[in-house]
Amino acid sequence: MARLTPHVDLVVFVALLVLVAIAAGLVGSLTGLGGGVVVIPILVIFFGASIPIAIGTGFVTILATSSATGAAYVRDRLSDLRIGMFLEVVTVPGAILGATATVFLTHANLESALLIALGAVLLAIIPGSLSRRNIELPPPLPQDARSRRLGLTGVYHDNALGQDVSYRAARTTPALGVMFGAGMVSGMFGIGGGVFKVLALERFLNLPMKVATATSNFMIGVTAAAGAGVMLSAGYVNPVVAAPVAVGTAFGAYVGSRVLPGLRNRTVRLLFLPVIAALAIEVILRGFGLP
Amino acid sequence: MNAVPDELRDPTPEVRPLPPEAYQRMTFTLRAGLFLALGILVGGLVAYLVIYPGATSGSVLSENPILSYLSLGGLVSGLASGSVEAYLTLGLVALIATPIVRVLTGFYYFRKAGEGAMTAITLGVFAMLLLGLLVIGPHVR
Repeated sequence: MARLTPHVDLVVFVALLVLVAIAAGLVGSLTGLGGGVVVIPILVIFFGASIPIAIGTGFVTILATSSATGAAYVRDRLSDLRIGMFLEVVTVPGAILGATATVFLTHANLESALLIALGAVLLAIIPGSLSRRNIELPPPLPQDARSRRLGLTGVYHDNALGQDVSYRAARTTPALGVMFGAGMVSGMFGIGGGVFKVLALERFLNLPMKVATATSNFMIGVTAAAGAGVMLSAGYVNPVVAAPVAVGTAFGAYVGSRVLPGLRNRTVRLLFLPVIAALAIEVILRGFGLP
Repeated sequence: MNAVPDELRDPTPEVRPLPPEAYQRMTFTLRAGLFLALGILVGGLVAYLVIYPGATSGSVLSENPILSYLSLGGLVSGLASGSVEAYLTLGLVALIATPIVRVLTGFYYFRKAGEGAMTAITLGVFAMLLLGLLVIGPHVR
């Protein structure tokens, strides 16, 4: 992909950012990976942004899309606030640690290593996005002591099934471990890490699919706030880049989630995931200094 | 195949829901925070484009315009003097603050419900968020 010349008029630059961000928001919501996985590589490859500025912009993207699409989940009580808050105990320090590591790697002139690692993470989350188990209501598992003590249970009304569904969280210890890793990846690379969060919520806590998705969305915003706080304070969030990207991805994600719900399936993911894989490979090549 | 133990067949585990008001407040916080933040950012961006007509993509990418406004004092004085960069910083702060306020809302309702463990957890999350924003970030700059 060719790089934009640095002499482009700012109005044109901002307009291009908005257009790319709308497309990224759409693709991100259709694949379930979020807009950051598209925006961050394109900022680096096409717009010539430095990797920390691209990551800082990624956080802003997550914050905007999480708030834009997450309000409906909270209103419908699909987001489990209790379970989400409990898991934030590990995702927030993970994100702070990850973002701090990114700042140190940048200061140590190891941006190439960051690029290679980012590409590798993008490639790694692709199979994860395809391996959702798609079990609406998992068979029950025993609630562990911590889950009982904190009351990590819930109930929601499933419109498709036409009934109230109750659930209880199991295996909280391994879930906390995965969530810490998800927070670190999110903090280090400015992506939502929803794939890892949903994995922990579905496979370990044994939550129903809808609750896992909605709770992950709830958590992504808080995790991103932790990483964004570090990156903003460290001077790596550029508002002239972040503002148009935030507006564009929020709009794209909203359209993707509202207007095109019939397209949100595995086939669409299979169509768009090669694009993300190609971006990831190009990011890795840039990291190795190849054109 | 192992049979599912009877205790696991209970379809209605004890549920301690937060009051509906908590969900309504959080939904409002998300929407209001997002629109406020995006409104400030878009307004600031338009003003920036008007004030700096000769700016290029290269000049914006090579220098972050808000570095002088990242301290509380710098931000307040910048806002008071009408600096467009300070307003852009405020928009970013509002966007980051939206989920943090949501955590604070959770703290309020867990405390109101007398749930000591969840109150402590929520307060801990809130404290860590502030630590990252106000202590760790400026320290590693």
